[in-house]
Amino acid sequence: MQSYTGRVNIGGMLPEQKIRAILYYLSLLTFFLGLPFILSGALGYKFDPHTFKFTKTGLLSLKTQPAGAAIYLGEKILNPKTPASLEELLPGKYNLKVELEGYYPWIGEVLVEAGKVTRVEKIILFPLRPLIKQLNIDRLTSFWIDEEKNNIYYADEENGNVYRSDLGGGRYEKIATCLPEVSAPRKYKVSWDRNKVACFNRSKIGVSFCDTHKELASGPRSFVVPHPDEAIIDIFWHSDSYHLVVITNSSIEVLEAQPNAVAVSLVKLNKKNVPSFYDKNTDILYFLDSQLAQDGKTYDNLYQLKLESRFSPF
Amino acid sequence: MNKNKKIKRTLEIIPGAISWGIIIFFVAMSVFKPVACAILVIIFCFYWIIRTVYLTTLLIMAYRKLALQKDRNWLEDCQNLSPHKNWQRIYHLVIFPVYNEGLDVLRPSLEALKQSHYPKDKMIIVMAFEERNRDCRDKASCLEDEFKGAFLHYLSSFHPDGLPGETRNKGANATWAAKEAKELLDSHKIPYEDVLISCFDADTCPDKEYFACLTYHFLTSAKPHQASYQPMPVYNNNVWYAPSFARLVEISASFCQMIESIRLEKFVTFSSHSMSFKTLIEINYWPTDMISDDSVVYWKAFLFYNGNYRVIPLYITVSMDMAYSSNFFKTIWIQYKQKRRWAWGVENFPFLVSRLLNNKNISLANKIRRPFNLLESHVTWAVWAVIITVIAPLPILLGGAFFAQMPIGYNLPRVTGLLLNFTLGTSIIWILLSRTILPPRPKDVKWIKNIVLIAEWIIVPLIILLLGSTPALDAQTRLLLGRYMQFQTTRKWRKK
Repeated sequence: MQSYTGRVNIGGMLPEQKIRAILYYLSLLTFFLGLPFILSGALGYKFDPHTFKFTKTGLLSLKTQPAGAAIYLGEKILNPKTPASLEELLPGKYNLKVELEGYYPWIGEVLVEAGKVTRVEKIILFPLRPLIKQLNIDRLTSFWIDEEKNNIYYADEENGNVYRSDLGGGRYEKIATCLPEVSAPRKYKVSWDRNKVACFNRSKIGVSFCDTHKELASGPRSFVVPHPDEAIIDIFWHSDSYHLVVITNSSIEVLEAQPNAVAVSLVKLNKKNVPSFYDKNTDILYFLDSQLAQDGKTYDNLYQLKLESRFSPF
Repeated sequence: MNKNKKIKRTLEIIPGAISWGIIIFFVAMSVFKPVACAILVIIFCFYWIIRTVYLTTLLIMAYRKLALQKDRNWLEDCQNLSPHKNWQRIYHLVIFPVYNEGLDVLRPSLEALKQSHYPKDKMIIVMAFEERNRDCRDKASCLEDEFKGAFLHYLSSFHPDGLPGETRNKGANATWAAKEAKELLDSHKIPYEDVLISCFDADTCPDKEYFACLTYHFLTSAKPHQASYQPMPVYNNNVWYAPSFARLVEISASFCQMIESIRLEKFVTFSSHSMSFKTLIEINYWPTDMISDDSVVYWKAFLFYNGNYRVIPLYITVSMDMAYSSNFFKTIWIQYKQKRRWAWGVENFPFLVSRLLNNKNISLANKIRRPFNLLESHVTWAVWAVIITVIAPLPILLGGAFFAQMPIGYNLPRVTGLLLNFTLGTSIIWILLSRTILPPRPKDVKWIKNIVLIAEWIIVPLIILLLGSTPALDAQTRLLLGRYMQFQTTRKWRKK
């Protein structure tokens, strides 16, 4: 039989209402007793049962690459492995060591501050035996990386061959051979369309066409552009992959990548062996050159030469 | 605007203002005072865990009562009552307000009444149709042919549209039907004191022992006319065919009602319920201009009896249909609208408070406690899922590098995650109980559905915001803005 008293009076209540009243007050008790501990833990306080005091602690967040490393705080090994957060640490300095089998341990000193999170999250553990892999198949004297296409280019100066592979050494293939007239080439430069390879020494520039069908392309399509007058310091492909920007000891020139091309001198340089950088996205050449100032001294300046099509002298 | 209207509007604004105020407060705090916001979020999550454990315990208690009384022979208990109780004098008037439900929904409801163990010659059935529904008379005629002779009286009523002071809602239809039934009772000289009226949804199939159980409680309760009688609603008519999330939402609704049945001081009538016909007449029937007629009728009686009115839970089930549609998105929309309509019960708050202000006979404690409980339940309904799912991560997202450097910034997701993991235990209980209240698996449903019924609870975190808080917030916002909702029936259909 149901009846409703509407009052919290344990003596006159139905059994389930009594149970409910007990549960209600138990819940209240749990809430008010538990809340300080939960909040203090969340705020970084540690309760000391001996002194009945809350001490403000700090937190240490550890991450390593790779994960799963053992953590030593002082001399003591801790239970969690990385990534881990070490809570309720009293403020101060700690000697920290992170160890993972097969890797060099990381050792450092960390400062834990009260009420703060100290993050040591950029630990890289290096392997004891690094994984080394040979990528080239043929002999090589130099290499460079094409980050845009994720390719590696290999050059063998002795026979003028240029090879290419992906970044893991796969799809390794010979793509061009520089003409023997360009002996002891200083550098190799692949055009932006990846169809040509230019190499140069002090006095010659050789251009070889890459073969996209895996056949050697060192035939009539390759050519040499002699440049006997001034020593060539560096060359750059224009973004059109047809013109070459040539830095010599005395000038900056452009010429077309074709046989019998005639160089056009754009800038006279005062300095020899000028450092330079070519931005192919904007076709701007940055170079250092010296200038005589009014005080009679010579100063180096950084210059910018725009070679994009609307400024082109072509 | 006269004074009463101003008071009414002010009261209508309060629930939405509080809910939005809480949400905006938390959002602002997460930007300007992320530490304080994080502290409040942790406090709320801890409170929510304890509340969940507490309510789950109440659920177990209610479920136990339901299980213990499941096979009870209530008719025999009535027969064993002392002669002066005279259970045989009790008539049951059952009203089914109908709008556009088809015969496939109405027929099983009437069949369920026919299967009832209570003597049919003590049952009066009224099928209350809306005259504006074009095929209402055809349906009425069809059902009359089938069921007319099965009860003491069977009649169909046709509620005219557009009566003054009415809006289109179930309460207006039920009131019209009750008035027609009153004439019938008068003509047969059946005293109102001996009549219990049950207002059922069109798809309600009561347990066979329902009316005997109701009679027993009526005859054995103190001041039986000062009580409504609320059975436990379950949505078992088409549970095996409904989509997972519809099933989860409706089962959760059943469980909420079971929990409320233990919290007697907060218990109000919901959906299908019963009460004394005498009381119904005294309080002037159901409201004819409000959507939440099922709960407002309780408050009307509460006010009429100056607070000395309560709801007596009946631990016996009435089964209804789950609302779903032909595809996933339509089902979500139907469920959303239904939950929004339920949440529109927030209109009870201004209704109750405005009348309590003028009532000098209700104690101050009741005047404070009842509206507070009502307001608290609606505000909680609107904000809890928002706080847990949307607000909780905000301090981390908006608090900046300074907040991230503090232990609380680091610990907030871990503490809230840990706290909420405790609810896994209560979730398991809910899952197990949900399995036990289901009817036997139909033959055309494969066995694998048993596994689905358990596994589908994993999507609860996804639906609590969409079908939990959002409809409640929607309803409260509409009330706040004065954009009153119109009654929309939930389309029910059965798998053929």
